Amino acid sequence: MKRAVLSVLSVAGLCAATGALAVDNIRGLAMTCDNCHGTGGTSVGLSMPSIAGLPEAYLKNIMMEWKTGKRASANMTRLIKGYSEDEIAALAGYYAKLPWKPQPQSVAADVLLKGKDASEACENCHGKTGASEEDDTPHLNGQWAKYLELELMKYRDPGFAMPHRKMTNAAKKLGADQVQPAAQYYGAQSK
Amino acid sequence: MSQINRRNFIKVAAAASSATALSFPSIARAAAKAKVVVIGGGYAGATAAKYIKRLDAGIDVTLIEPNPVYTSCPLSNEALVGHRDLKTLQVGYDGLKKRGVNVLQDLVTGVDRARKTVTTKGGNTLSYDALVMSPGITFHYDTIEGYSESLINDIPHAWEAGPQTLLLKKQLEAMPDGGVFVIVVPKGPFRCPPGPYERASLVANYFQHHGKKKSKVIILDGNDSHSKKGLFNQAWAKMYGWEKEGLNTNGMIEWLKGAEGGFINKLDAKTKTVSSDFVDVKADVLNIIPPHKAGRIAVTTGLAGSTGNNFEKGWCKVQPMDMASAVDPNVYVVGDSCVAGEMSTYGNPNAAFDMPKSAHIAMAQAKVAAAAIVAKVNGLPTPQPYYANTCYSVVGDDYGISVAHLYRVVNGTFKYIPEGSGVSPVTMPDGSPVPPIYRKLEAEYADGWLRNVMADAFL
Ligand SMILES: Cc1cc2nc3c(=O)[nH]c(=O)nc-3n(C[C@H](O)[C@H](O)[C@H](O)COP(=O)(O)OP(=O)(O)OC[C@H]3O[C@@H](n4cnc5c(N)ncnc54)[C@H](O)[C@@H]3O)c2cc1C
Ligand code: HEC
Ligand code: HEC
Repeated sequence: MKRAVLSVLSVAGLCAATGALAVDNIRGLAMTCDNCHGTGGTSVGLSMPSIAGLPEAYLKNIMMEWKTGKRASANMTRLIKGYSEDEIAALAGYYAKLPWKPQPQSVAADVLLKGKDASEACENCHGKTGASEEDDTPHLNGQWAKYLELELMKYRDPGFAMPHRKMTNAAKKLGADQVQPAAQYYGAQSK
Repeated sequence: MSQINRRNFIKVAAAASSATALSFPSIARAAAKAKVVVIGGGYAGATAAKYIKRLDAGIDVTLIEPNPVYTSCPLSNEALVGHRDLKTLQVGYDGLKKRGVNVLQDLVTGVDRARKTVTTKGGNTLSYDALVMSPGITFHYDTIEGYSESLINDIPHAWEAGPQTLLLKKQLEAMPDGGVFVIVVPKGPFRCPPGPYERASLVANYFQHHGKKKSKVIILDGNDSHSKKGLFNQAWAKMYGWEKEGLNTNGMIEWLKGAEGGFINKLDAKTKTVSSDFVDVKADVLNIIPPHKAGRIAVTTGLAGSTGNNFEKGWCKVQPMDMASAVDPNVYVVGDSCVAGEMSTYGNPNAAFDMPKSAHIAMAQAKVAAAAIVAKVNGLPTPQPYYANTCYSVVGDDYGISVAHLYRVVNGTFKYIPEGSGVSPVTMPDGSPVPPIYRKLEAEYADGWLRNVMADAFL
């Protein structure tokens, strides 16, 4: 319920409370992201990630990697270069404070089992269900499986710049037939 | 900026209570703070209605729209060639009703700006404190000799998704191999700048997959260049044998620019032959996209320009800070009806930084207007606006491309921000070819985008 306070009307208050954010209207800025990422940052499009509730450090880091050209993206590199570092920090803070809303998707039992097997190699970092609390690690539980599969495809493609070495190595170790089941396993998790 | 009428506008002056009202829904049920009427339930109008309610449930919002179901034009080119069912593009207004928006199925026939009332075909009169004008576009059939609205059941435009899309689909299906499909593109601005070229691409793709490889797609363009031209030409060369500009090439897709005869001004409907000052082209399936201007009701309400170039005349100028009409601070014009962006560049093909007429930017404009209306009602200053656009085009199997635009408002005027704008790469920075994964990703993202914009506007 408290979230409603983060409306356009209370921006002044929000900025005062959090200190030096040089962003006039973070709510309005975020509304432009929600066209693609869903109202309030929770996506209903299978290939588009929910971003509400991801860890602040992760959000800020990848947006800065896009801005500085270290990280590839078919869309985000182009968009994010139009925003200042302050705006990026404010956006990361804004979305991180919203709740993570998993969208558990149904999947055939045999695929689920195959995905669970594949996910054992990932557990150290992502936890059993993908609900890691690490600040540099995105939630996978109830994220869209289609999106996760496309991300794994990016990590596995040598022509696509993804700077996180450990995650890239983990993705490359998956068998080609494990990618989709692993993505679907995480997509099916509610917690 | 439109602060002139603020005192009349504010129904509840206690600005201090406004932020609190948002966190206590019970207060919202008290008497309405202000009345907002929204004309037209497309991407722009639906978004405005939803976001006003979302930002301040205490405002009474009525959306007036004649159709019970909206059909999205975005990705309707996929429906045209059978890549998706038209039903995936349709949405009703129950989502908005659930959010507390009054939805009136009716057509607005008049607006009295002095009295601040709206009248409808169904005999309703509604008063407003703020009016959102979002009726989209109206087609003008009279610029091509021999063409008229009565012909669209034989020569569809399919520039409004729905029955028109299905009609053109049927004609393409019935066309034998070796047939010629002609798309006539009007002089800009028209809605969805990449739309005609996306259509050409997907129809070529359809011909390839359905035993019609000897068929042609001919684009007769009223303009001398077009959106994402480098990317389209590259994709066409890769997939559809594109060679070069002009007619009588070996490619499946041909494009004739306005200056060389693409600007069509005559139709012989019987033989489906279109003519310019230079060429006559006979089509087996003919798709004329008629020139268009702001929705009729915006024009009769006196919001559209009556002079100026093609970008100004017939479209509604707005204030950059809040999307209020340049002629009436209580009326906000959002979506295809308005003209916005860097005014000095209108019509300049090398530097056209006007906002494209897209669903994406229509929603951005609507959100700006919604936030400005809510702030005004609550006696608060207009929040800083942001306008962002992205148009995806799916042009083949696993092949998508896009263009992005970002605008800020600096010193009260629109400013195009090149750093946050631009098209998908044509080559990598070192000149090497773009890996196929980029094109595949964008084709996938187009579908995710569609589902999110539909939900963000209507649910
Ligand atoms: C083939 C095609 C492909 C496209 N692809 C894309 C894309 O990929 N991405 C993108 O961003 N955009 C795309 N567009 C553009 C997009 O469709 C428009 O920019 C968008 O629909 C504009 O929204 P709007 O609300 O202003 O107008 P509209 O969607 O046209 O809605 C206007 C509404 O107002 C109603 N109305 C009109 N007059 C009245 C009246 N007097 N009283 C009450 N109601 C009235 C109409 O019934 C209609 O529902 C595409 C367009 C086409 C034709
Ligand atoms: C045109 C659509 C579009 C818009 C607008 C958009 N994004 Fe994205 N965003 C994407 C796509 C597609 C992806 C997934 C692919 C990728 O990571 O490159 C993505 C990914 C992301 C991610 C990574 C999520 C994850 O789980 O790793 C973040 C964070 C993000 N966007 C933030 C934003 C912010 C903040 C804005 C507004 C300033 C924004 N996006 C606007 C399309 C968009
Ligand atoms: C060493 C720790 C580690 C291991 C092991 C690991 N991951 Fe990751 N994973 C991360 C981190 C950190 C990120 C964010 C990386 C970045 O910034 O690119 C990430 C990102 C991801 C993403 C992208 C999510 C998004 O929102 O964009 C997916 C999908 C993913 N991991 C799946 C897996 C799978 C499947 C495995 C096992 C095969 C795995 N990971 C193993 C740490 C790890």
